[in-house]
Amino acid sequence: CLRALNGQPPAAPTPRVVEREEEEEDEELTLKYGAKHVIMLFVPVTLCMVVVVATIKSVSFYTQNDGQRLIYTPFPEDTDTVGQRALNSILNATIMITVIIVMTLVLVMLYKYRCYKVIQGWLFLSSLLLLFFFSYIYLKEVFKTYNLAMDYITLAIIIWNFGVVGMMCIHWKGPLRLQQAYLIMISALMALVFIKYLPEWTAWLILAVISVYDLLAVLCPKGPLRILVETAQERNEPIFPALIYSSTMVWLVNMADTDRPNRNSTEAASPQQEPQEVASPVPSSPSQDDGGFTQSWVSQQEHRLGPLQSTEETRREIQQMPSARPPVEEDDEERGVKLGLGDFIFYSMLVGKASATASGDWNTTLACFVAILIGLCLTLLLLAIFKKALPALPISIFFGLVFYFATDNLVRPFMDKLALHQFYI
Amino acid sequence: MNLERLPNEEKLSLCRKYYLGGFAFLPFLWLVNVVWFFREAFLKPSYTEQLQIKAYVKRSALGLLLWVAVLTTWITIYQHFRAEWGEVGDYLSFTIPLGIP
Repeated sequence: CLRALNGQPPAAPTPRVVEREEEEEDEELTLKYGAKHVIMLFVPVTLCMVVVVATIKSVSFYTQNDGQRLIYTPFPEDTDTVGQRALNSILNATIMITVIIVMTLVLVMLYKYRCYKVIQGWLFLSSLLLLFFFSYIYLKEVFKTYNLAMDYITLAIIIWNFGVVGMMCIHWKGPLRLQQAYLIMISALMALVFIKYLPEWTAWLILAVISVYDLLAVLCPKGPLRILVETAQERNEPIFPALIYSSTMVWLVNMADTDRPNRNSTEAASPQQEPQEVASPVPSSPSQDDGGFTQSWVSQQEHRLGPLQSTEETRREIQQMPSARPPVEEDDEERGVKLGLGDFIFYSMLVGKASATASGDWNTTLACFVAILIGLCLTLLLLAIFKKALPALPISIFFGLVFYFATDNLVRPFMDKLALHQFYI
Repeated sequence: MNLERLPNEEKLSLCRKYYLGGFAFLPFLWLVNVVWFFREAFLKPSYTEQLQIKAYVKRSALGLLLWVAVLTTWITIYQHFRAEWGEVGDYLSFTIPLGIP
């Protein structure tokens, strides 16, 4: 889900002409800053994808089929007939999506009934698991791949440092760059887990279905995410900082409240009724919308991604790692755009899967990469136009899938044939 | 988290917390402390809390150097003598490289 933190002019009574001029100017500014933020989001998304692809290419662990599957995808895909395989993958995808929907509803219920502590604890545990356990496995595989010896003592120190500083940066206070780096790393870790444990057809199906679900959940009036946002708005509070990547630190304007940093930490820590940090008194202010949407979106993502289970129960929780919510800033310079970590994860998963299993290899990978970036551009453009929370998955994933299948099945044989006949175009 | 926007007491408090946290076997935290507060401590025009922040940054840097020295020594020893240590070496190892050492 994508949220732009645009300061909209407060709803004050001004003469119509002036208002319109202001609006136009604002539009222009928005689009201009929109472009800047597109670029700001390109970098982390690209980085995440690069990390995932690099790992897939070098560490064979993530492409090996150990025969292990997640509980959520119990049907194997190495069956005798194509029909059987198709059926199995559809069933797997259905189970996964159902789990995700259920988790999202649970989250919305928890939020509605103000069980904030539960949600926070959940998020905390997920990030704990992700930062410690998954990075441990990742390091192990990397060392094995490069045939390096490593002793437990050094390893313990490394993992301990990585994990604790990560928890601090994400849930408490830390330098912005480091926080962004950690968010990218955990997204990459999660995407790798997905790539390893989801069989092929299931993975593609899940991507497709999730994009559709995303669209519905965020835009339909009865969608769980929408309900979440509306509830947050009614209560006039930001939703707990979940997995959200923000391009800049944005500060909320609140004349009375001088305690910025506290708020930052409290935001990260608890979705409580904080003194309203809204840029404008209008309840539909972007910042609130943002908060609501992105988080619900994110949590939804979490759910989505979350329910993976082979040995690790809390994958979903992993997703639910809170990121410190950046307060919104007063001047125009630092309006940021926020992108849910789930979006990162799915983009990387698509590109990673493409690089792992495509016969066209780098062609396909690059094509998917470009497709996703184009999709992201378009989504951000729409965001600048509509100024409300939008699902970031559908367009990008749709393009990505189209490009993947097209490149793999059409472009690559074409290129091969050309090369074979030494015919250069 | 943008340091610019914090009042000085908060900066001091943050620096201090990072410094104290580093004692829990967290040299990385000290590294983050040094890098993050370097500009605050040394390159900014002085303000009341700056002296203390400087002290914390210096001590974090010291602790960091110490840790780096210890770790480098240990890693060198380990990598060099691992094969010779036989059983103990294997017991200590997290991953054992294949092939002949």
